[in-house]
Amino acid sequence: MPAAAAPVVIAVGALTGSLPASAGDPLPAKTPAQVLELVGTHQVHSFSGTLEQVSELGLPELPAAGKTSAPASAGSAAAVIELLSGRHSARIYVDGKDNARVQVVDQLAERDVVRDGNDVWFYSSKDNTAEHLTLPAKTQDSMPSRDMQGTPGVPAPDDLAQQLLSKVDPTTAVTVGPDVVVAGRSAYNLVIEPRTDATLVGKVAIAVDGQTGMPLSVQVTARGADKPAFRSGFTAFSLDTPDQSLFSFTPPPGSTVKDVPVPDKSHEPADAPHPGPMANPDQLLPQLEAKAHLSVAGTGWETVVGTAAGASGSAAASLLADPLLAQAAVPVPGGRLLSTALVNVLVTDDGRMFAGMVPPEALQAAAAAAR
Amino acid sequence: MLIAVAVKVSSAVPPGRGPAFLDRITQNGLFVAFTAMLVSVPLFMPLAVGVVAGDTIAGEASLGTLRYLLVAPAGRVRLLLVKYAGAVAFCIVAPLTIGLVGAAIGAALFPVGPVTLLSGGVIQPAEAAVRIVLIAAYIAVSLAGLSAIGLFLSTMTVVPVGAMAATVVVSVVSEVLDQLAQLEWLHPWLFSHYWLGFGDMLRQPVLWDSFAANGLLQAGYVAVFGALAYGRFVTKDVLS
Repeated sequence: MPAAAAPVVIAVGALTGSLPASAGDPLPAKTPAQVLELVGTHQVHSFSGTLEQVSELGLPELPAAGKTSAPASAGSAAAVIELLSGRHSARIYVDGKDNARVQVVDQLAERDVVRDGNDVWFYSSKDNTAEHLTLPAKTQDSMPSRDMQGTPGVPAPDDLAQQLLSKVDPTTAVTVGPDVVVAGRSAYNLVIEPRTDATLVGKVAIAVDGQTGMPLSVQVTARGADKPAFRSGFTAFSLDTPDQSLFSFTPPPGSTVKDVPVPDKSHEPADAPHPGPMANPDQLLPQLEAKAHLSVAGTGWETVVGTAAGASGSAAASLLADPLLAQAAVPVPGGRLLSTALVNVLVTDDGRMFAGMVPPEALQAAAAAAR
Repeated sequence: MLIAVAVKVSSAVPPGRGPAFLDRITQNGLFVAFTAMLVSVPLFMPLAVGVVAGDTIAGEASLGTLRYLLVAPAGRVRLLLVKYAGAVAFCIVAPLTIGLVGAAIGAALFPVGPVTLLSGGVIQPAEAAVRIVLIAAYIAVSLAGLSAIGLFLSTMTVVPVGAMAATVVVSVVSEVLDQLAQLEWLHPWLFSHYWLGFGDMLRQPVLWDSFAANGLLQAGYVAVFGALAYGRFVTKDVLS
């Protein structure tokens, strides 16, 4: 059957065509410090791009059909978990400090965050609701546009890289790997490895755009794993100034509009509706510390954050009140454990909560020590 | 003709249950078109395409007219191409009919106004009509791969019902596999993976990524199963 050869040729062509292309123009060699400096001085104010985030944290996966049942209202624990698990893509448009738009693209639905000067809108097409927030003039100046990108729960690589780089200290080895190509742009590959074995994080790789110094992707790999447990990166990236009409938002007719009071100043304004993702204890830390009811044990990668019994009643209770999380938390000696590839959270029987990027045993030890 | 009637009837009934756009219908009749297309894509469209594509060769064979067709100096390749073109023409007409009939019925029963997009923006009815045509084009492209599979299966048998059923079963299996999170590596290769991606036509600005990815994937399916059908049909002994 001579014609049978045709499908084989086509199949081979399809397979080879989908292999990733190799790096284009080689970038001039740089030391880790120079790459860090490139990141620190990057001056990209206007860009647009498509961001894709894939998490395989080991949290229970919801079938795609189940997602429609719960309206993804901002701020609920389930919404945060939903954004932190599985695959998400978002389109990001940023123009200067004051204009930004993030569209979290779901199947037949979309969640939008639009910032136009002092006005911030959240819109969810699923339940057709819009939330409006007016930023006070003062915080507007002190808040860089980056904060906006982190808000919808899909943290921009830009944001994540800054937080991870702040961890760079003697506990951590920083090297520059072979160049990578992200969204069609050559990028330095900054590889960060903890020097200790007592953390769940094995490797963090940050792709830094060779031209502008803007972080384009972040990959976090758990210790002993060969595939990243969490990756977030641009699949398309453009430095052109986005269309201004994208930044104006009027609630569509028929939608439910809610005015959200401005959070008080001790909170980060933009992050308040979405508590810091669990993957970023750094972000969680200042928020919890503000409440002054927490204990910190260990340093660097081995840090364990714990809350005292009295104060944490709300935190621990609300964590387990969510039916999804309550199911995911498995009983262990001394409490219940919410275990993911990168972060473990232990809620003890007496209502204290301990979290860290460490194995469960370290959490149990910290819980015992703090007693 | 039966199928065209069925298409009209299915969208003439404002769909009683349906996700996503259903709640907007009473405010805006144009959403009938979107809802009708949304509801028809997962099951009704594959069913109709399966019937049409499965009937192409096997139907002629079962009626005993295939050999008469082949006696004419037209060549088997040309017959195959014409049959496939007929199936694709159906793929183009069916979603357009659903969209336009849906819009017309929606306009007759409910008020028509500016359409709210998924991004929260609002477009005028004229532009909404353009979006309906775009969605119809997207669905037509989506179904091209399934038609090629149906054509191939149709060359395998002389019983048209068998080819029809097999085509529908293949599409249902593909859709079920697409729902299983454990098979995520397989998903980009399933021809039904982008079927519901036509919502991207309702964003502001329009997101073309899924249209392009869908087109590429369907082109691959058309090439592979078109070649298989060619290989099968050219070397087949036509006995009926």
